[in-house]
Amino acid sequence: MSAITDILQLLVTANLWQVAMVSAVLLLLPALGGVISERSGVVNIAMEGMMLTGAFFAVWADLNWHSPWIAVLVAMIAGGLMALIHAVVSIRFRADQIVSGIAINIFAAGLTVYLVRTIYGLQDVGHVVPAEALPTWDVPLLSAIPFIGKVVFQQNVVVYIALIVLVLVEIVLFRTRLGLRIRAVGEHPQAADTAGLNVYVIRYGAVITSGLLSGLAGAFLAIGVSNTFVPNMTDGRGYIALAAMIFGKWTPRGAFVACIIFGLGEAIYANNSTIHVSQYLLSMLPYLITLVVLAGLVGRSTPPAADGIPYAAGSE
Amino acid sequence: MPFASVLFAFVVGAIVVTVTGGNPIDAYQGLLCGGLGIACTQGENPALQIANTIVYTIPLITTGVAVALPFRAGLFNIGAEGQLLAGAMACTALGIKLHDWPAVILLPTVLVGGMLAGAVWAGIAGVLKATVGAHEVVTTIMLNYVAQWLLRFLIIGGPLELAEGTSKSLPIGDGAHLATFLPNSDTLQIFGLPASVYRVHVGLVIALVAVAVFAVLLWRTSLGYEIRAAGQSQKAARYAGVSVRRTIIVTMLIAGAFSGLAGAIQIAGVDHNLTDKYFSDTTGFDAIAVALLGLGSAVGIVLAAILFGALHAGGAVMQADAGISSSLVLVLQALILFSIAANFLNAIRLRIPGLGQAPSAPAPAAVGAALMTEAAVAPPQEGTTTT
Repeated sequence: MSAITDILQLLVTANLWQVAMVSAVLLLLPALGGVISERSGVVNIAMEGMMLTGAFFAVWADLNWHSPWIAVLVAMIAGGLMALIHAVVSIRFRADQIVSGIAINIFAAGLTVYLVRTIYGLQDVGHVVPAEALPTWDVPLLSAIPFIGKVVFQQNVVVYIALIVLVLVEIVLFRTRLGLRIRAVGEHPQAADTAGLNVYVIRYGAVITSGLLSGLAGAFLAIGVSNTFVPNMTDGRGYIALAAMIFGKWTPRGAFVACIIFGLGEAIYANNSTIHVSQYLLSMLPYLITLVVLAGLVGRSTPPAADGIPYAAGSE
Repeated sequence: MPFASVLFAFVVGAIVVTVTGGNPIDAYQGLLCGGLGIACTQGENPALQIANTIVYTIPLITTGVAVALPFRAGLFNIGAEGQLLAGAMACTALGIKLHDWPAVILLPTVLVGGMLAGAVWAGIAGVLKATVGAHEVVTTIMLNYVAQWLLRFLIIGGPLELAEGTSKSLPIGDGAHLATFLPNSDTLQIFGLPASVYRVHVGLVIALVAVAVFAVLLWRTSLGYEIRAAGQSQKAARYAGVSVRRTIIVTMLIAGAFSGLAGAIQIAGVDHNLTDKYFSDTTGFDAIAVALLGLGSAVGIVLAAILFGALHAGGAVMQADAGISSSLVLVLQALILFSIAANFLNAIRLRIPGLGQAPSAPAPAAVGAALMTEAAVAPPQEGTTTT
């Protein structure tokens, strides 16, 4: 019983929610990328690798140019390039998108460790400490609001960027012609093609966008939260983002709710001293919850109709 | 095709090494030495290098089968890693709890226990696929992570922990050990080294039997026919009287048993306890490359497993001798996967005038084609057609 009251007491503290917000944003950015990519019909399980690549190149650029903003830019380009590989392989060569996604994740894991060793001469567990971290910024006036001010408006700049991106993706996907086109290409590419849309261009754009967002998340992780690069530091976040995307039924707002839930969970077990359950068992929860969702116990979650099917113009 | 994919990976890998200031010839010489005991420069013992490669190859064969079998049914099992860990955990738990049992009973118990645990782990994905159409790729990814966290729980502060802060489990009972081929002797010299350093164990035989069982099951039994039928076309399979749901569940159960066996063999044959090295184990992911590169055939799986076993064993020697990070092996592996999946070389060849025509329809990717079947994209509709 005391564990439950402990958690309830934790849940009303702004500190917990502030930490949860950071964890949630680390998942939200790749999850939004996943939503965009899969809405256009390209299965993307490569957010983990794109994020990891972004994390490494953020640290690398930060050390070179001593600017977190250049680092963010470089990380996004790096994530975007990984996404471009996924796009070329799965759109141009019509490869299996899951195999390509797995290959991206293995490639990123290998390449980042290889580069850490080659550039910095460190062992596999080596840490690279970045020069400049991404700043936090208190929004004037709004940050003075009790509770909400601390949770939402006393945050790292990337948190604000992520929330803006969330609103943008929601609006673009469901309120604009571009969004309609992306969804049409993901649901019925033949019909979209017949209607004069360029299926390939839209899919390339969607996949690369997912890489840019995942790269940004990697930069936030490496030079905003951890201030170091450790091999495999994304630690499954790209896959939890995938889970959040499914949990959220391929919608930005749904994914956001899932990310908040998963982020809260992470923040609670970071406060593990009050809860007498192994943090490792608690770490399973995002995955178990997703399995329960997939089992249809909390309503069905159905992917876009053409998700995962390569498109060849002129084919049935 | 498979040879060309490997060649492609090594060529691009050489470019990566050169661009980053290394010497690709030194790198590959290190890989060759560590993997096959050829062209060693630092006086490595060739017999020991080959023995190490075989030890790495054993779990790759069994998990390769665990990925290849569901491929034939149009299912993509990327959960071999989680199933392997489930097998390793069950094997260790049984080996600890029943440590005083005699080997004749204990050894089969831990191996079968590992197989059952793997089967359950994969079976969850199979049942979810067959009943509610949950995509097995997503469920097996989730199950991989559940297994990883369960493993951490068990050996860090959990019931199997050796002592606080060790990140190790208690050792399994002696009766649960798989024998090595050579006696565990420090005095007997074989190829200039004590016999105890060669760790090749009876798991090799088990793995070869497993791959033979896979081939027979697939091509000589009615279940194998049903698996292949479901993989070709679920609709056609249903007309032929195959219960697609049952086939999906049974296929995943069997695949999980193979992966679980791989985990149990690693514990019983090599490690004898769970350690933190299993946190970063990638055997189940390597198995995907093994199954694809081996074109899903028994002989192909064994050959591909030897290749990846040699790459893993070779990576350490390359790092030590040539100063090139063993992570290059992961890069090579990813390149092989890209190459197989995208059928790059075929596409390039067709674009060169005189060698062939550009394909008007998508070129069927040899193995990937199995994934593009109805089974991989649509949940089974059995209930609507049979009743």
